[in-house]
Formats: sequence, structure tokens, C-alpha cells
Amino acid sequence: MKKYFPFIFTLISCFTTILAQEENFFLIARNKGEKILTTGDTIRTFGFARKLSEQPGVPGPTLVVKEGDSVHIDLLNMSQGAPHTIHLHGLDVDQQNDGVPHLSFEIPHMEHGFYHFKAPHPGTYLYHCHVASTIHVQAGMYGLIIVKPSDGSNKTWDGGESFVNEHSYFLSEIDTVWHRDSVLLHPYDTSHVMNHIQIPHFDPQFFLINGLSDQQLLDSNVVFESSMGQQDFVRLANIGFCGVRVIFPQQLKARIVSSDGRPFETEESSDTIYVYPGERYGVLTKSSVEFSDQIRFEYLDLNTNQLKNTQVIPVSVQGQLGLPNFDQEEITAQLVPNPFYGNTDLHLSLREGRELTFKIYDLQGRLVEEHEERFFTVGQHEVALGKSLRESGIYTLQIISAGNVIQLEKLLRLE
Amino acid sequence: MPGWGKKLVALGLFFALCTPLFAEKLIDTLFLNQGKIEMVDGVQMPYFSFNSTSVFSKENTRLLVDVGDSLELLIVNTDSVDHAFQVKGLTASTSISANDSVWVNVELTETGAFIYYDPSAGEKYRYMGAAGMIVVRNPNQQTSDFYWNMKDHQSVYNVSLSEGQNVDWSQYYPDYFTINGRSNPDINADPAARVAGKVGDTLHIYMVNTGQSIHSIHFHGYHAKIMYSSKFPDHVGRNKDTFPIYGMEVVALELVPHQPGEYPVHDHNLVAVSAGNIYPNGMFLTLLIE
Repeated sequence: MKKYFPFIFTLISCFTTILAQEENFFLIARNKGEKILTTGDTIRTFGFARKLSEQPGVPGPTLVVKEGDSVHIDLLNMSQGAPHTIHLHGLDVDQQNDGVPHLSFEIPHMEHGFYHFKAPHPGTYLYHCHVASTIHVQAGMYGLIIVKPSDGSNKTWDGGESFVNEHSYFLSEIDTVWHRDSVLLHPYDTSHVMNHIQIPHFDPQFFLINGLSDQQLLDSNVVFESSMGQQDFVRLANIGFCGVRVIFPQQLKARIVSSDGRPFETEESSDTIYVYPGERYGVLTKSSVEFSDQIRFEYLDLNTNQLKNTQVIPVSVQGQLGLPNFDQEEITAQLVPNPFYGNTDLHLSLREGRELTFKIYDLQGRLVEEHEERFFTVGQHEVALGKSLRESGIYTLQIISAGNVIQLEKLLRLE
Repeated sequence: MPGWGKKLVALGLFFALCTPLFAEKLIDTLFLNQGKIEMVDGVQMPYFSFNSTSVFSKENTRLLVDVGDSLELLIVNTDSVDHAFQVKGLTASTSISANDSVWVNVELTETGAFIYYDPSAGEKYRYMGAAGMIVVRNPNQQTSDFYWNMKDHQSVYNVSLSEGQNVDWSQYYPDYFTINGRSNPDINADPAARVAGKVGDTLHIYMVNTGQSIHSIHFHGYHAKIMYSSKFPDHVGRNKDTFPIYGMEVVALELVPHQPGEYPVHDHNLVAVSAGNIYPNGMFLTLLIE
């Protein structure tokens, strides 16, 4: 038997080598990004792009690697301003690769910096600039790093549970005051160990999931779609300055199984998860029933614990055979006008007659208007909505058929 | 009496005799003093602190005891108004008249950290600094221990409260963030706060948040195991690089460094890495591992 040991050892080594790869990423740090907000306004951002012709996005590109991979990041600073770095948040890299300017190195304009690490435990991690980090993170210089199991499979970790689809929700906020040139283009003296930089009062107006908010989020078709009995994995990560209370529909039977790239010894079954700045969580979901609802993201002020905003991701769990229980083309809905003063009309077009209910919620999730269920025949209909809305602001309309939310629309009431 | 009964009595007598050798009754004095704290940028604000003498110091006295000990504390109120004293979860509130003193007995039967504070006047004195920590350790553990008393202040609130005015907590927006009364870069000069050790050491970090805000503490370079959490007991055992600590709550961590280096630890609500709106003068320090 002993004579086979070298062969087996070599085989295992070769197999491990095949699975673990060299992963090279090239990123460009830019400070002339533009971001269009849900109001249509454009703000200046900093960010990371993969090539010169690409706008730096908020968030930056998601870097996906496998456990054991040797990862190399080449960061080119083309910002004509302050230096930049990459902090590999949660990856426990050595000091040289940690991305903190006065303890590692910083990358001036038109220079490259190189970061190296071996991908550790499967999980969700972050990268962000650590130069004047309060400003550069708010400016948009952040992204996700996902470490998959060593075989790249859809498992929580090597030997962990399997899942079909994964969904990443990356949480942050935008205060447009911080995106003015007077704030973004802060003074920076590279001869100083630490630069002292004035920061404005933080009072965000936009609350983001994957860089989008409100109507942008609904228009983007970011939907949690699954099937009865199907297990999925949700990655939650918060790079903002608020806490976020994430509330899953009870039917998803959420199980919190990991955080910060480490599995829990004892998983926690809970529909509600608090994700604080810098934290990441891994959540397994599986529904035994067909339903439609939404995942709520409640942004909390860390100084007062007050609710500042709510964003939602629609949830649709389909029948066991993976067939939709509702054909979305059977109904089209449009609010005219929207934004509106006083009230608005919902223009409906139905290819099949059906019972419909309409519910309007405010951003705190309170039901503010409800229209009792009634039958709508095939064809065109108009329904007056919004008479109960007393205050200007953003509201969510749920169109409900047979107990399921089949469509969501955002309403913007003006004063 | 059968033979095993005699053995039990003997064993009981042995432990009864030995107990005083291990569990002690400690007597200490805390003076509640009023003064001013000077922040890293020179700004001064009204402050209260529990000190071991009647001379004001911005740092509340840390009480370190072994599990099983009991504390007889004489609390001396050096102020001209009434105050109170309480150990959260261990004692009731005890009033102390102006320029008077009271004795408070505290039994410490479990390891961890506990917050003592002044609960009077809607906890305004607690917010203005009057809160410290009692750390209860296992004397048999060979660890290097570090202690963080974390606070946040909105400077104008300290001034308003000291002048007897009301403040609107729903509008609270702190501009100073301290650990043991210091901000970056001064925290590293405090050997009780600045975590230092060698690769493979077992380091324990006892944190109390005696301020108002929730802080989300992020460690560079390492994950640490949660040993104790007063807010989330079911989080004990989790390995985290970032975790929240709520106001008036306690977290204790165990860190066994696997690599050498100097790495930051800071609040990842990055607004809290500032003092007087100047970055990076807030809740930021470094670990130094040889």
C-alpha cells in the first residue's frame, strides 16, 4: 500500500492545483464618475472601472473567486486627484496588502498598485478605498468580493448546503451634499502620515440596494424569484453608514448560516436580520408555498435608532414545476400621471377577467389606502387612486390577485 | 453517620476554609467628579466621571475583579446636586445626596464586563461621561486583557445639559467619538486600549458602550471570537471581523492573532472616524502584533 502513497499524494496535489487558480483583476480608480439618481438628477462619484472606456459604477465590479485561488489585483489610479487604495475588507490579508495608506501603501495618480492574497473561507467580503475613507466610500469606491467553495459549486462552503440561485443585496446610502466638488476634491498631502479632512453633516436622501433606489429598483427588475421547495442563498452586505433591518417574508423560512466569511456553529432561524456597516451575512431560504411578497430593507439612524427609509425587493415564489402562477403579460398597469397632485389614475389592461385588490403603503410600511376586491372584465379599466394620501412622498402600490402581489408600482405624490 | 457522609462533611469544611483564599471582599471608593473633557482638537465640554480620588479625570476608573469576589463600593458625590449609582444588571439604583456618600455592595458571580453608571436625571450624567466598567475575570486564564469604554458626544448637547436645558434626542448627531476618553491618534497611547501582543497570544478585549449611538466595530487583519454579548447572548462563539455594540451594552472578544503586523480597528460607521467633523480623529486605533 505504501508504494501508492506518493502517487495518491501527487494526484491530490494535482487535483487541488487544478481547482485553485490564479485570478487576475485589473481595476481603474476614477474620480469622474456620474450617477443618475431615481429623481433624474446626476451626481459626481468616485469608483472602480474595469477598463478605460467604462464608467466607474456604484458599486464597482463584483470580484468572484474560489477558495484557495491566488488573487492578484492591479489597481491603476487615473483620477488626477488624491491617491487611492484597495482595502480587502474581511479577508485578513497581511499588512502590506491591507490598503491603509499610512500602514501599507497608497497609489498616486497614473501609478499602479498590486494587491495579492489567497482566497480564504467561502463567503462575502468587501473592497473599498481606504484613503480619506469616510469621503471615498461615500463617493462610491466600493465593491463586493465573493469567495465560492474550492470547486466553484453552489454551496455555502465546502461540505456546506447546496442552493440553486444566489442573490446579493449590497446596501449603502447617498448624501448628495457629499458629492459636490468642494467635498470630493479634498486637499491631500502625500508627505503627511495622516491627512486631516473636513467632512460634512451626513444626512442621506437616497438609500441604495446594489446602487439603486425606489423606482430605479423596481424598473431594474431586481426580483427575488424562486420555486416551491427550492433552496436559495442570499448575501447581505452593508457598506453604508446606517444600520439596515432586513425583513424576509415568513414563507421564505430564512436561516442565517454565516457572517463575515465564517459559518455559524449554530445557525439562527429568523425573518429579521440587522446588518450594520461593514457586516456581511449569508442566509438560506426555502419556501414550501407559492406566494408573492417583498423583502423589506429598513435603514436605521445609528445615533437615534430611528427609521430613515424603506426599500423593497419583490419576491415571487412559483409553483412546484417552476411554472409561473401568473402570466405578467395578462395584465398591464400604468399610473397616469405619476408624479401627481391630489390623485392619479391606474390604467389597467386585462387579457382575462379577474378579481383585483389594490393596496398603497407608505415608506414606513403602513397601509394608507385599500380598495376592496372587485371583478375586472377583459379590456381596459381606469381606477382612481391616491385620495387617502395626505402627505407628499413616495408610496408603493400593490396589485393583488388571488392573495398574491402580482405587480408593484411606485407612486410619487407632490404637494 | 455512614463513611461517605463524613467524607462529604470534611469536603464541605475544606471548601468553606478555602473559599476566603479565593473569593475576596474588595473595598474601593469612587468619587463622582464634575469637570471638563478636552477633545483631540482642543474643544472642551462639560463632563462627569467616576474617579478613584476627588480630583477630576476624564477616564472613569476601571474596576478589575476575579469571579466570585464581592465589591464594597463607597460612592462619594462631590457635586452640589443629587446623583445616583447603579451597576447595570447587578444592583438597583441608589441615590446619593449632594456632597454625601453611600455604600453599595456588588456580588460578581460570573465572568464578563458590567457597566456602572449614574442613572439619575434621565441618564443625562451618564451621557455626559459618568459611566465606567467592572471587569470580572477568571483568575486562572492566561490572557492579555484590554479595556475599551466607548462614548459619543454632541458637544452642544453637553453644554446645554450642563446648563439645565433639555435636548432633543431624536435629533442627536454626535461630533466626538472616544475610547477611554481619547480619540485617534491618542487612543494608541493608552496601553489599556491599544491591543498589543504576539502571534499566538490569547488577547481578550472587554468593550462597553456607555454612549448613545450604535457602533459597528471593524477589525483589519483578523477575525475575533465573541466571548460575551449582553445584547445578543446567542452571538457568543461567532467569529467576526465586524460587529455592532449598542448603547449601554457589553461585548467581550477573544483574539488569537495568526499574523504579525499593525492593523486598524475602527467604527465602520465612518462618520464616527472623526472629531469635530475632522477625519480621521475619531474612533480609530491600531493593533500591534509582533
